[in-house]
Amino acid sequence: MLNKKSAFAFVTSFVLAASLLSGCGSSKDGGASSAAEGTGTSSKQVEFSFYYSGSQNVDDLWKNLIPMFEEKNPDIKVKAVYVPSGTGAQPTYDRILAAKQSGKGSGDIDLFEDGLGVVTKGQKDDLWDNLSTDHIPNLNNVDQNTLNDVSNLAIPYRSSAVVLAYNSETVKDVPKTLDDVYEWIRSHPERFAYNDPSTGGAGSSFVTTSIYKFLPEDAIHNTDPSIESQWDQGFSLLKDLGKYMYGKGIYPKKNQGTLDLLTSGEVDMIPAWSDMVLDQLDKGQLPETTKITQITPGFNGGPTYLMVPKLSEKKDAVYKFLDFVLSPEAQNVVVDKMHGFPGIKLTNMSQEVQDSFKGASEGFRSFNIGDLDKDINKRWQSEVAAQ
Amino acid sequence: MSKSFKRGILGISMVLPSFLVLVLIVVIPIMSSLRESLKNDNGGYDLSNYTYLFTDKLMRSNIIFTLEITIVSSILVLLISYSLAVYMRFNNGFAVRWIRRTYMIPIFIPSVIATYGLIQLLGNHGWMARILYHLGTDSFPRIIFDMKGIILANLWFNIPFTTMLLGSALSGVPDAVIESAKDVGAGRMRIFFRLILPLTFKTLLVALTFVFMGVIGSFTAPFLIGPNAPQMLGVSMEQIFSVFQDRQLAAATAFFTFLLCSFVGYFYIRSMIKEESVRSS
Repeated sequence: MLNKKSAFAFVTSFVLAASLLSGCGSSKDGGASSAAEGTGTSSKQVEFSFYYSGSQNVDDLWKNLIPMFEEKNPDIKVKAVYVPSGTGAQPTYDRILAAKQSGKGSGDIDLFEDGLGVVTKGQKDDLWDNLSTDHIPNLNNVDQNTLNDVSNLAIPYRSSAVVLAYNSETVKDVPKTLDDVYEWIRSHPERFAYNDPSTGGAGSSFVTTSIYKFLPEDAIHNTDPSIESQWDQGFSLLKDLGKYMYGKGIYPKKNQGTLDLLTSGEVDMIPAWSDMVLDQLDKGQLPETTKITQITPGFNGGPTYLMVPKLSEKKDAVYKFLDFVLSPEAQNVVVDKMHGFPGIKLTNMSQEVQDSFKGASEGFRSFNIGDLDKDINKRWQSEVAAQ
Repeated sequence: MSKSFKRGILGISMVLPSFLVLVLIVVIPIMSSLRESLKNDNGGYDLSNYTYLFTDKLMRSNIIFTLEITIVSSILVLLISYSLAVYMRFNNGFAVRWIRRTYMIPIFIPSVIATYGLIQLLGNHGWMARILYHLGTDSFPRIIFDMKGIILANLWFNIPFTTMLLGSALSGVPDAVIESAKDVGAGRMRIFFRLILPLTFKTLLVALTFVFMGVIGSFTAPFLIGPNAPQMLGVSMEQIFSVFQDRQLAAATAFFTFLLCSFVGYFYIRSMIKEESVRSS
């Protein structure tokens, strides 16, 4: 009896310990556990942590790319940490910065994905590693100008832009410039909608583009609050447009909110993210008559970057991964899975891909106004939404 | 140690856990948000956030909008739930059986899905509008992206639980009381207003507290189907906190919402205490 009991206890504790150990192993030190099992290859496995954030489609993309990479490089394991958008991107950056300041390396973050704002912020704090073609041969595929913009500190691995999506059945005279768009809105009351700028980038881009239309061209890279006094003209334009908007001033929530209106035919034209439109066209969620176009001056758009913290200790593995991400094979996944514009030059992609992005993957502008968008949203809420 | 002292210790030790939980998850957060809300831009303490809350045109219209929706929703929910509960208590038959089987369904549908369902049903080009269009009605009132939509959603979310609450109170009204009242010649109206309503009044108050607090703090439905401005306080709070990142103002709004809720809570507790003192005297 006693024997049985103790055997049971032994087995239970063994199972528990084993499961605990293997749990630790997979999350902390993949190399050790595989070696202990005796099944691992002779070379030591390296694991690095990759933090990224964004919408669900970004998560889906990496869940496709990482296994592809790991299959080819069995000695490298990528620990992917997905931070849902809006909740944790800022803390991740703060973690890297805090780890550096307290002399703790890179804070266990070996690769980080974010937009232009964070790249320049980290440049000031001297956080990012300088990337070169010596380590990452495929960097040659990337447009040198985009790399110069970020002083070779970050890799633009994909990009997307806000475009004008319209129903080609009802919109015959497609607007080419921003003024054309306003003209179209005025002559077609309640057939245009943009989403509440505080809830999504598409609406935010429409608002920002309208405000900065009246400012000098280089103002879109100005993060100084003193520029705010020049916003008045743009806001009064938006206020005036209000009565021509869908429902005489209804601004749906989230980027998807306006896309839903376009699908149901309640509006004929909206600003929207190119990748969302192309993806939903592909899945048949948007009517086939939906088309996209960019206008001049262009809406907001630009690459999403990958940065390597300077103090990371696993750079060699990270470089291999980055090289893979920039290969045409991986870039094809970017195009197929999330309909992003490829990060490498279009000439490296198939003709089919080149054709599909015609007219959409160019002409956008990269706004970099820092925290000023907070003030835009605040003013928009009290002046335009509540007029 | 005297017996009463021992009993006192026992009493306190039984109350202590719930008291501690209350302090930890209610009192401390409220105090800290009160403190946060009194901070001004220069790091000092004053009432500037509250002044802004009540003088800013947008915030004031948000508050009025929230109160309007809350009061209208509460009254409608209580009216409908009470009539449903009374109907189910004093009638029997096919209809009652089906109401009893189905009225709980909304509780089991996640609020996001229910809200999208409402948008599909009542939107500008939704099913309702299409059906009406085929019946020859051209104009369809704006329900989604409007106050009416939020109130409808509130009805959907709150009626089931309130009906259940009131139903159980009504089943506590003994048949004997009603029959004896009938025997001495009381009319239907008289029985309702002199017997049934007073006997269930306390539960009605409880229900009102639940509905009021649930509606005033609601977020999902007002966020998805409410107008851009004015907003309900929950939506506005989220925007102030995570978009404008003005924590002090968000804290002030939160504390004001808490005050509104405790105002209703006060009446509830007062009636409870009254009842207790009547019982013990």
